[in-house]
Formats: sequence, structure tokens, C-alpha cells
Amino acid sequence: MDHPAVAEEDVPLLSLQAFSLARGKVDVLDNVAFELGRGQTIGLIGESGAGKSTIALAIIGLLRPPEVALRGSIRFDGVELTGLAEAQYRQLRGNRIGLVFQDATAALNPCFTVGAQLAEPLSRHLGLRGNERRQRSIELLESVGIGEAALRLDAFPHELSGGMQQRVMIAMALACDPQLLIADEPTSALDVTIQAQIMELILERVRARSASAIFVLHDLALAAQVCDRVVVLYAGQVVEVAPAGELFAAPRHPYTRALRACSIELGQEQVLAPIPGSVPGLEDLPAGCRFAPRCDRASAQCAQTPPLVSDGIRSVACWHA
Amino acid sequence: MPNRFLAQVGQTALVLFFVSVASFVFLKLAPGDPVSLMLGSDYNKDSYDRLFTELGLDRPWMVQYTTWLGNFVTGDWGRSFVSNEDIFRLAVMQALPVTLCLAAYAMVLALLVGIPAGVLSALKRDTWMDLCATGVAVFGNAFPSFYLGIVLIWVFGVGLGWFPTLGFVAPWEDPLEGLWYLTLPAITLAAWYIGLIARVTRASLLDVLGHSYILAARARGEGATRVVWVHAMRNVLMPLTTTLGLQLGGMLRGAVMTEVVFALPGLGMMITAATLNREYTVVQAGVMLSGLLFVLVNLMVDQLYTWLDPRLRRLA
Ligand SMILES: Nc1ncnc2c1ncn2[C@@H]1O[C@H](COP(=O)(O)OP(=O)(O)O)[C@@H](O)[C@H]1O
Ligand code: SF4
Ligand SMILES: [Mg+2]
Repeated sequence: MDHPAVAEEDVPLLSLQAFSLARGKVDVLDNVAFELGRGQTIGLIGESGAGKSTIALAIIGLLRPPEVALRGSIRFDGVELTGLAEAQYRQLRGNRIGLVFQDATAALNPCFTVGAQLAEPLSRHLGLRGNERRQRSIELLESVGIGEAALRLDAFPHELSGGMQQRVMIAMALACDPQLLIADEPTSALDVTIQAQIMELILERVRARSASAIFVLHDLALAAQVCDRVVVLYAGQVVEVAPAGELFAAPRHPYTRALRACSIELGQEQVLAPIPGSVPGLEDLPAGCRFAPRCDRASAQCAQTPPLVSDGIRSVACWHA
Repeated sequence: MPNRFLAQVGQTALVLFFVSVASFVFLKLAPGDPVSLMLGSDYNKDSYDRLFTELGLDRPWMVQYTTWLGNFVTGDWGRSFVSNEDIFRLAVMQALPVTLCLAAYAMVLALLVGIPAGVLSALKRDTWMDLCATGVAVFGNAFPSFYLGIVLIWVFGVGLGWFPTLGFVAPWEDPLEGLWYLTLPAITLAAWYIGLIARVTRASLLDVLGHSYILAARARGEGATRVVWVHAMRNVLMPLTTTLGLQLGGMLRGAVMTEVVFALPGLGMMITAATLNREYTVVQAGVMLSGLLFVLVNLMVDQLYTWLDPRLRRLA
């Protein structure tokens, strides 16, 4: 892959700084910041509605003005993405940034064959045609563990199982050897029995290409296993960022602690004890710390917004962490 | 697929059977006696009885029906009392092509205008462009077609003189002149369908654009134009075909009206004229032919639909 001249190996591949995104009057993301190094994997964790998918779509440039309002910065390989022209953004999508959707059944167009959809990034970004393109498609399907690949190319999505469909999505996202792969809950729509296989497959493909990856996950234990660092999101804000192992061993934010408690119980196949209360609606957030209504450590001070404080290795946004 | 196809053929046969029985019974119940009509002035008891037996009218209805159906299937549709012309020739060779040309021209116009209008109003949802397109669609839907026909004749025919006001030139003999003559009638017939197509396209496209496969196509780097016209519209074709298929009967009805307004020698005109002349055999032939046409077109639409939706195509 050709890298722009400005990119240097010590510049992180991706960095979000004070990144906010608003739909109308509602701030869906507020001051999100994290960095992703080359060849690294990062996990985004948080309850449903925390803004994980929004971050994924914002990075790949599918949530842009005028649909939403953006503030702050997303830099990818040294290039600022928030103001990038659509034509240039298109060069990144599917080429240098790949996206795996949560529900492959919904993300594959029912009217086009697997081959036709897989061929698109190959023609658009790599200029492949005819037999060469078909050969590359077959290799891609084989690389994600799909047998009889030549036959599958002519299949329509509904003729494949859910697991196969997700493999196709993965092949598509990796078609052009992206530097960054974003996988938004890549296994949560799948049968439990094949979730581990698919996760394993993505990890293996990402490592084989020494690409960077963002995994949106909802299980902290899984995130700790597969990611280098984990970003914990709550109601559109980053509440804790830390190396995965440390975060799991010693979570500091009360929300992360609660998530870990859930995760451990899940691991032991006990009944899930969800965190009491629910995520506040983004329209009526509490002033100060957004987690306060559900927090067992909340004090008077928590009526002030806690800043994200970093010690150089990990950061946390809590007055009493 | 074969099962579905066989079921459709069976269904079609059943519908055709009912149409044939209905048009047979219609002839039997029609006021006026075919024998006296045929004899005209040459009427006396003797010749009446002779013709009555000759026509097989003394035989049981069952036999009459099967004989009639047999003749119909082999193209022996009898002769017109008025012009003594062969009815099969009159209906199938002369009137039918006119109606088919009109309907096809109108359908092409309706698709060419309706689809872009629907796409435009979906993409520019809730802007003035959407409002205009929706307004035109509602107008086309609400305006009675014979009235629209008359208005078009007045404005573009009589007033501006751009198009001929009445009459017909066969497009298969002189394509340009033929289309020129058919343009106002085709617009008249298309108006209602433009409204329908625009509305269905708008609603279906908005629905399709909300699916994640659209987002996924964009995430592969596809441009907005291609995503709309290829990825999304391919999916819009299915609901569009369904709706249009359901309304094709209306197209035949509309063609009758339009032919009368513009004096086009099509099936509708043939049936109307025959009804006024009490030529019930011609009316019957027209009804049978329209029924056949309706059923065949529906069968084609159904096949088209099966072919358009891969989920139905490859169930094997
Ligand atoms: N298409 C949309 N229109 C309006 N609000 C949306 C839309 N998609 C997501 N949201 C809102 O944005 C917030 C974040 O959603 P999302 O990023 O999907 O969360 P997550 O992926 O963490 O479950 C939620 O409050 C959700 O209601
Ligand atoms: S700042 Fe206060 S309310 Fe918020 S998580 Fe920390 S202790 Fe709980
Ligand atoms: Mg999500």
C-alpha cells in the first residue's frame, strides 16, 4: 500500500481528539479521544446506545455533515478526516479502512451475488478486472475459510448461512488490505457456537497483515483477550482507557467495575446481573458525571463533570477512582 | 421454481376458463336475437329456423359452449354482421396492435418520468423539489384521464398545433409519424401511472436506503450515485413491479377510455363501437381477448417478479 509522505511510523495510525458528534441538538458523542497505534488493536466497550457504532461510522466517514455536526478531530495516517472531501474519503473506504458490520445478513445486498459485491472494492480501488479479479475473489473467500469458493461467488447471500455471510463480509472488508479494520460487534448476530471461530478468524487475518483494528464489543472479558487497549464508553463519553489486561485486572471507573462484574459472571455462566438502572437518554443527561444516578460511589462532587485524567498509561474520568 | 410456475399456469388456465364461460353466458343473455340480427331484412320463419339449426342454437348449452370454445381456440371467431369482416382479423390483427402500442408507449413514458421523479423526491425529501414532484404525482393520480385527454387535445393539438388531435398512423408502418400520433394519447394514459410510479418509487427507495446493505456498499467506497441507482434501485424494482402488476388491469381500462377520446382504432374502440351496434359476437371476442391479454400480462409480471427476486429464483 502506498503511504502518504507525511505519515511517519511514530505517528499513530488513528487518533481522535476532542471529537464530538451531534444529531440535531443531541450530542451523541462528547469529547471522545483515543489513539490507535500501527499493528495495534483497540476495543470499544459500553452498553447499547453508548455511541460505539457512531464512532465506527464517523471514522469511516459515513456520518458526516449535514446529517450530523462534527467537532474536534479524527486523524488517520497523518490526514485530518473531518474536513476531507467526499471524493478523497471514498478512496479510503473499503481500501485503507475496512468495516465489518454487526449483522452480515442485513449488510449484504439480497439482489446481488456474493461475487458481484466482493468485486466492487477490487475494481474500484485495485482496478482489477475479469479473470484476475475473479481469481483474487476466490483467494479472498478461501482466506476466510470458505470452501468451494468459486461456486460461492455465484451464490446469492440468502443461499449462505449466517456464519458464511459474516465470513464474506470479512473477506470484503479485507479485500484491499486495509491498514485499519473496524469490526462492529462482528459476532453478536451469530450463533454462539461459531462466535469464537469468527472472532479468531478476524484476529488471525488482522495479524497476518499487521493491520490495526478497532473491535466494538460488549463483553469486557473478550475485549481483554483480543485487544491491546480498551476504551470504555458511557453515554457518548470516554470514561476509561487502559491496556486491556490492566483494565480487566484492575478497573478503576465504577462503570468499568460494574461491566467487569457482569463479564465475570457471564464467563462462569451464571445468571447475568446487569448493572442496576439504565443508560440515561441523551436528551436528558444528568449534569456532572453522567454515571452518577447509577453509581454507588457518587458524592456531591460528582455534580461536576469529572475530567479524563491520564497517568501516561491509562486514563479515567471519575472523581473517586 | 417449476412448482411455482406450474401453479401459475394452472391458475391462469382457471381464470381463462371463467373468462370464457362469462363471455359465452354474456352472449346468451345479451338482448336481441343473433339469428334475427344476422338475417336483417331477409327475415321469414323458414330462413330463421334454417339458420337457427345451422348455428347449432337448438343444441344443449354445454355443446354450444364447447363448439364455440373450440372455434375460438382455432381462430374461427365468426364474421361481423355489419362489415362481414372476419372477427379474428378485426380484433387480433387490427385492433390489438393499436392497443398494445398505446399501452407500451404509455408504460415507457410513465417509467421514464415516474422513476426519476420518485428518486428525486426521495433524495430531496421534504424540500421544495420533493413537494413539486409529489404535487405532480398527486395531480396525475387525481385528474380524470378523459378530461386530461381533452385538455391535452385543446392545448397541444388545437392551441399550439404540436400534435395531431385525432386519428392514428400505424407505428409499424411509419414509426416516427406513428409515435407522433400516439404521443398525446400515451401521455393521457401515462399520467395516472406516473403518479403511481413516483409515489411507489419514493416510498420504496426511502425504505431501501435505510437498510444496512446501503451503508455497507458505501463503506466499500461506492459513490452515492451508484449506490442509489444500482444498489438501491435494484431493490426498489421488486415492490415497483408488484404494484404495477396489480394495476395493469387498470391500464387496459384506461386504454379503452383513451382510445375513445382520441378515436384510436384499438380494442377499446372496437368494443365500444360493437356495443353501440349490438354486435355481440364482436363484443364477446373483445372481452375474451382482453381477458386473455390481462391474464398473459399478469403471468409475465409474475415471471418477471420471480426473476427479479433472487430469493424466489433459486429455491432449488
Ligand atoms: N439513525 C439514528 N438516528 C438518530 N439517532 C441515532 C441513530 N443511530 C443511533 N442513534 C443514537 O445515537 C446513540 C448512539 O448509538 P450507537 O452508536 O448505535 O450506540 P451503540 O453502537 O454503542 O449501541 C444512541 O442514543 C442512539 O439512539
Ligand atoms: S465521578 Fe462520581 S458518579 Fe461519576 S463514576 Fe465517579 S464516583 Fe461515580
Ligand atoms: Mg452498535
